[in-house]
Amino acid sequence: MSFEISDIALLGTGYLLILFGIAYCAEKGWIPKRISEHPVTYILSLGIFASAWAFYGVVDLAYQYGYGALAYYLGTGAVFLFAPMVIKPLAQLVKRFQITSLTDLLVFRYHSQTAGAIAAVCMLAAVLPLLALQIQAVTETLHILTSGSSSSSEISGYTGMPFRTVMALCYCILLAAFTILFGSSREKHNGLRVAMAFESLIKLAALLTAGFVALYGVFDGFDGLDQWLTQNPENLELLYSPIKAGESHTLLLVFLATAVAMPHVFHMSTIEAPAKNISSTLTWAFPLFLLLMALPIFPLLWAGIELGSPLSPQYFTLGVPMQMGLPILTLFIFVGGLSAATGAIVSISLSLSTMLLNQLVLPAVHLSRKRDLYRQVLWFRRVLIILIFICGYSFYKLLNNSLSLTDLALMTFIEALQFIPGIFAIAYWPSANSRGLIVGLTLGTLIWTAGLLLPALTDIQSLGILPIGVEYWDTITLLSISINIAAFIGFSMLTTTSTEERYSAELCAEDELSQPLRTILNVHTAEDFTDRLSVILGGRTADREVKRALEELNLGPKERRPYALRQLRDRIEANLSSLIGTSLASEIMDEHIPYQLPEGGGTSDINLIESRLAQYRSHLSGLAAELDNLRLYHRNTLEELPMAAVSLGHDMEILMWNQAMAQLTTIDSDSVLGSHLDDLEQPWRDLLNAFSQSPNTHLHKQQVDQAHSTRWISLHKANIVGPAANSTDGQVILLEDITDIQRLEQELVHSERLASIGRLSAGVAHEIGNPVTGIACLAQNLRYDTKNEDAIETADMILSQTDRIGRIVQSLVSFSHTGQQNKDDFILLSVRDCASEAVQLLSLQKDKNPVIFDLRLDQGLAVMGDPQRLIQVFINLLSNARDASPQGGTIIIDGQTSTQWVEIFVEDNGSGIPLEHQEKVLEPFFTSKEPGEGTGLGLSMVHSIIEEHDGQIQLTSPLPNKDNGTRVTIKLPLVPISQSNT
Amino acid sequence: MRNQRLLILLLLVTYVFSPTIYDWAINPEGAWYRPFIIWALLIVAAYLFQGRSNRNEL
Repeated sequence: MSFEISDIALLGTGYLLILFGIAYCAEKGWIPKRISEHPVTYILSLGIFASAWAFYGVVDLAYQYGYGALAYYLGTGAVFLFAPMVIKPLAQLVKRFQITSLTDLLVFRYHSQTAGAIAAVCMLAAVLPLLALQIQAVTETLHILTSGSSSSSEISGYTGMPFRTVMALCYCILLAAFTILFGSSREKHNGLRVAMAFESLIKLAALLTAGFVALYGVFDGFDGLDQWLTQNPENLELLYSPIKAGESHTLLLVFLATAVAMPHVFHMSTIEAPAKNISSTLTWAFPLFLLLMALPIFPLLWAGIELGSPLSPQYFTLGVPMQMGLPILTLFIFVGGLSAATGAIVSISLSLSTMLLNQLVLPAVHLSRKRDLYRQVLWFRRVLIILIFICGYSFYKLLNNSLSLTDLALMTFIEALQFIPGIFAIAYWPSANSRGLIVGLTLGTLIWTAGLLLPALTDIQSLGILPIGVEYWDTITLLSISINIAAFIGFSMLTTTSTEERYSAELCAEDELSQPLRTILNVHTAEDFTDRLSVILGGRTADREVKRALEELNLGPKERRPYALRQLRDRIEANLSSLIGTSLASEIMDEHIPYQLPEGGGTSDINLIESRLAQYRSHLSGLAAELDNLRLYHRNTLEELPMAAVSLGHDMEILMWNQAMAQLTTIDSDSVLGSHLDDLEQPWRDLLNAFSQSPNTHLHKQQVDQAHSTRWISLHKANIVGPAANSTDGQVILLEDITDIQRLEQELVHSERLASIGRLSAGVAHEIGNPVTGIACLAQNLRYDTKNEDAIETADMILSQTDRIGRIVQSLVSFSHTGQQNKDDFILLSVRDCASEAVQLLSLQKDKNPVIFDLRLDQGLAVMGDPQRLIQVFINLLSNARDASPQGGTIIIDGQTSTQWVEIFVEDNGSGIPLEHQEKVLEPFFTSKEPGEGTGLGLSMVHSIIEEHDGQIQLTSPLPNKDNGTRVTIKLPLVPISQSNT
Repeated sequence: MRNQRLLILLLLVTYVFSPTIYDWAINPEGAWYRPFIIWALLIVAAYLFQGRSNRNEL
């Protein structure tokens, strides 16, 4: 069976165009998100792992190693089966720090540019055989399909090159174009992912169809196959005998590496992983995909043997349908193989270009600041993709089909295996260091180069005691990886690790709860970032990167909080590393926005620990969960403490700001946490700054003027004891609001002054009393001594006026008395007398609103009490009523007796008391009067006096059936008749 | 923590039973697809386990 080259070329190009189309549609968003972002799409896109070798070469592996061939799938399957342990920690790191390739991850963890460069070179060496394998598989199958046609020799004749070379070149050019179009941009490659999922689907369908046809077309199903195997026991023996040789165990080890260390598989499984965590789906779905890929291998092998295919076993997948004379199926299988090779080449070149760009190109060249950085990086990447294709093609040409697909695959995977110690140590061995990695990787790679690469490229047959050549792959694998691991462990343990590397190692270790140190930045606003970065990145790029990071963190451009600025710095570094690689990004950030350790030892970043714990809570169990509950309890105790508390770090960064503090200062804790004390609003900034730096641990009665009020605050502070002996970990400051006490004190001083005036007035009254008595005596004498009517009238008037002076003086004297505190000293008194005394005193205040006091109290209304204090009650009530009344208004003072009480009413027709004030008027310091007019103590004093008399006070406002007016009702206990008579 | 303990238990079980399972899988007397059956069982186990752990996290 033979096909025309034009038909095959048309088919191949058509298929690639469909792949282009799908990628384009997905990129433009024309494919619904529920398909493009479905977990199945992601799992299928991981199918790029199964390259042309899994499609063709594995049958040869099965021929050579029997069941050992399954190691290819089992090794990889095992890694994905344990994805939550193996892949998830790496994927989390990659996501958190925006890492774009395996070598970037190594640079991030080992903090070494050299390690990154060496890893990139080793990786390039590792994937060259795999690239050559894909090209070889496609050109070989093309050659097989068109071997009998005349057109293939025509092409060779026309171009002057062998047919295979021409085909390989065309294929590489097409794929390079595809990769550049869909994979070189910075964003996630949605189109690429969907296209890769599609190619996985095609190759899976093709392989399953081939297996099905082999099983039912050649053997008549399972029974037929069993029968055939019984008749041909040597084929069954092929399955078992090689695995006893032990090489298949090494195969398992080699293939374990492919799932993690191969750059394209790493790229798809971690970097292109969807935002939604699907690692748990991965544990079973990807091994299932591998199972389906592995199922047809043995039936295909046996069918090839049974049909006597002239092809080598590595092309039995294509040979079986050809031998059976099924042209359409043959073409479908060819497309499947093309698909597998395409997926692998595109993804390998893409991930490798990132590695080379970040590790070798960008650190070596100086990007022009005047031009757009993004465009420069994009062009570098495009050039690198083309270079990788040229390298792959040259390597293929150099080998000239001398190695089988299996040999090429083994070469790649054995070199990839050298990365495994370094990769596993990322999450699981924080003591590993860059020296160990560099020495281990270099030694392993040297042994691989000498043992496998050199013999493949040259005619060297032996190298001293080292057995070389791909036939000794087993020994070379074990030797290289053993020396690699030994050197890695040995050098890591014997050499010292830098502080930066240890910091990165802690970040990478699986235990995310390690205590991060709070470092200090010497930038103060987000704008400083733009200024500093524009020196190296150019103004426009720096501005764009800072704005982007601010947006992602929901921060404003005026941000000044150190905690937020640290977050901003880390985010910018992560974003830059996705653009120019981890090493260059961290170099730029270290140089322009460096971290500094605080003087006098580091302080834990409490805010960061808190936020991490909050995210991590659901994962905690056992002791950790209980400790976390304890933490929450103590935190809540501080948060809910009914006293304002703030804690400060060494560097005056605010670490805690509790609810009472937020209430007192009216500054929300979210807006202030993590900020420097100097950035706090006034007046709190000066107050706290001065106090935190003063040697005193207490500061009493500080006046704080706020926008609408003045407060008095006492401050107390204590040092927080640090984990080390004799060390402090910042300070905690308590703010005690003593405004009420302060006002009470002022009131006390005021009333003390009033009391002294009262006492003075008693003396004054006494002093006035004597001359007045003299005047009264003289007037009396005048009255008796004269007969003159006018003189008698004058004397009467003098007497009446002196009498009035006497009464006024008497009232003042009696008011200035303290009164009786003891209930036993209460006397029976007439309410009317008390009220009239109060009216008399109030009428002395001529400057006040003139009102009419209508005293309607019955003279017989009597209660037990202290007359001085009851007069005080009437004075307060009546003066309040007078203040509320209109000019010339009437205030009614009335009373009545009920079964239990003597009820006294003071009623005015003033403005009334608003409903919302009625509950508060009896509280101390509540006043609706202008400042300086009222103290807010009058009614509360009335209330306390009435309570001392076992009475009650009620307010009614407005008056019943009226819109205004207030009635105060005082109820005092009725005096029993027997007592009143005595 | 729970995952780590389960992993250790799984490794122990695998270690104890691996010779038996291995002998059974590659027994020339048996069907050639026996290793695939074990593989399929492993996938079912992984599916069941991930379903359960997902529920626990909810």
